[in-house]
Amino acid sequence: MAYELRRQDFYTGLILSTVSLGVIVESWRMPRDLQGWPAYASPGVVTGLLGGGLLLMALVLTIRSMRRSGAPLAITGTDARAYLFDVGTRRLGLMFGLSVLYCLLLGRNVPYWLTTGGYLIAVMFVFRAGPWWQILLISAGTTAAVAYVFNRIFAIPLP
Amino acid sequence: MLLGPWYILVELWNLLTPLTLLYVAISTFIGIVIGMLPGLTATMGVALLTGLTFGFPPKQAIVILICVYVGAIYGGSRSAILLNIPGTPANAATCLDGFPLAQQGQAGPAIGLATTSSFLGTVFGLICLAFFTPLLGQIALQFQSWEFFWLAIFGIIVCGNLTAPTDPLKGWIAGFIGLLVSLVGQDGITAYARFTFGFDQMRGGFALIPVLVGVYGIAEVLGVMRETVIPRVVMQIQKVLPRWQDVWQYRRTMLRSGVIGVIIGAIPGVGEDVAAWVSYDFAKRASKHPEEFGKGSREGLIAAETGNNACIGGAVIPVLALAVPGSAPAAVLLAAMWLHGVRPGPLLMLEFPNYIWEVTAMFILASLAMLILGLSLVRTMVKILMVPRPILMPIVLVLCVIGSFAISVRIFDIWVMLAFGLLGYPMRKYNYPAAPLVLGVILGDMADVNLRRALIRTAGDVTPFFTRPISLVLVAITLFTILARAHWFRRLLATGSARLKTAFSRG
Repeated sequence: MAYELRRQDFYTGLILSTVSLGVIVESWRMPRDLQGWPAYASPGVVTGLLGGGLLLMALVLTIRSMRRSGAPLAITGTDARAYLFDVGTRRLGLMFGLSVLYCLLLGRNVPYWLTTGGYLIAVMFVFRAGPWWQILLISAGTTAAVAYVFNRIFAIPLP
Repeated sequence: MLLGPWYILVELWNLLTPLTLLYVAISTFIGIVIGMLPGLTATMGVALLTGLTFGFPPKQAIVILICVYVGAIYGGSRSAILLNIPGTPANAATCLDGFPLAQQGQAGPAIGLATTSSFLGTVFGLICLAFFTPLLGQIALQFQSWEFFWLAIFGIIVCGNLTAPTDPLKGWIAGFIGLLVSLVGQDGITAYARFTFGFDQMRGGFALIPVLVGVYGIAEVLGVMRETVIPRVVMQIQKVLPRWQDVWQYRRTMLRSGVIGVIIGAIPGVGEDVAAWVSYDFAKRASKHPEEFGKGSREGLIAAETGNNACIGGAVIPVLALAVPGSAPAAVLLAAMWLHGVRPGPLLMLEFPNYIWEVTAMFILASLAMLILGLSLVRTMVKILMVPRPILMPIVLVLCVIGSFAISVRIFDIWVMLAFGLLGYPMRKYNYPAAPLVLGVILGDMADVNLRRALIRTAGDVTPFFTRPISLVLVAITLFTILARAHWFRRLLATGSARLKTAFSRG
């Protein structure tokens, strides 16, 4: 029977192998006689062991995906285009992009109410959440409530 | 121990202030709403509220989180019955019989039964919590570095195995990633900064709440916003209050599911979804009418809902006794206790002798609020189910951002949250469970410090890791859990048991 995540497992295995190799190398480079502690108490012991364990599992994941039947491992241009132009991918990209933009603006010199209100309006408009007056009302209400509750009641500075 | 019930009453009395009761009502309602809305889970709700209640007095913050936890696990049954979509993963088994009952025009009685069984499940769980936590605490006092190291590894392996039953390798990978994530920053023995790559902000490691909010909250927001499907709600709801006979005739199912829920809850990191499925499976096997399961069986509905809510009490037992969470929401609860200055673990009974009774009293309030709100605000809650996701999800994201920021007032935590959201989304999509990752983040420090401390104590000798009785039990279970997933080992076991059977039948 075809395994539907064959390709994903293969590439995840490769990525995890690379990461775990990096962890092992970095653990090995950590000092082994820090402050007079013996080598078995060095900060790289557990990270090295975990990196080794993760590498083993990543290799099993990769080899297992190669031995299973399912989608071909190579990614063609058609596959990439189909994924990129998929409605779901577009929605995901839009949501994530807007959220990253929102976080980028936080902590700068833009007032919190402006960034948060602007973000809510933008997402609701882009995803057609309802009529414009409803979007404006909900965004303004939410921003005001969050700012008031956190800043005034809980005395937490806003980002 | 014998005075436990008295202490619980005293703590309950202390909690009965108008302000606390108001918090209990509001937070249980919020919990039910969070659980009810597909895409918002109990873990996310508790993580979100941990950030939002950071400025509250400790007692009130914890009671709010417990109410959200109990409310959310129950609330998921509402959408499972009315939409055929589990509000939280814990309610997936509820869909099987809840939705068919709603289609048969029995949405009201189904909601009533789900509420009653959730209430009874929670009560059973809290009784076990009050009874078993001090006992486990006594055993935990014998744990030393060797045992704590194995406990962390045992937790990851068992949790990975049970939360990814079709492919445990992915559960274990998630757990190991979690362990590694927790080791970023200064280590607990030499204060050496690991994997910080020159970023000062990373010297303190990743704060737990932004990681949890990212993995559960942001990943879910992204997942929900990717979909374009609009669910249809079953709107015809009649009488909700269940009849006494309906509840009484399934008392055995409830008791069995309660026991299963508590046991599964006490296993590190496994959680309510597994408890519901196992309770449902056992109920089907033991039922006089197994053919009705999946077609609107009241027994199936009761089993799933009792199991998942009883699991809550079970999941808090290891939190209090060992500082090891039994489920993902319990992991957040543990983090919240740390944030508010409580240190659960073997010394809890010595440092905070009344805390177990206080938590039990909080659970009593939460379960009562859940019962009252669950049976009374049915139609109002159905209306909330109809709020469009494009309105709800950006608001949730704004709350995730402010919740992550509020704890340390650092913009860095917002980026940590987003990064873990970006990690959590493909993990969900490609069947890597989030629970082992969360458990790994909680237990990483325990594994690291205790392994190295144990080696220092024995001058590098590893023998005690395999010879001390409790260590040996933990190693044996961990190894068996891993080997049991290998085909050759299962074949070996089958051959061995067949030979034993033949030998005994000859004799």
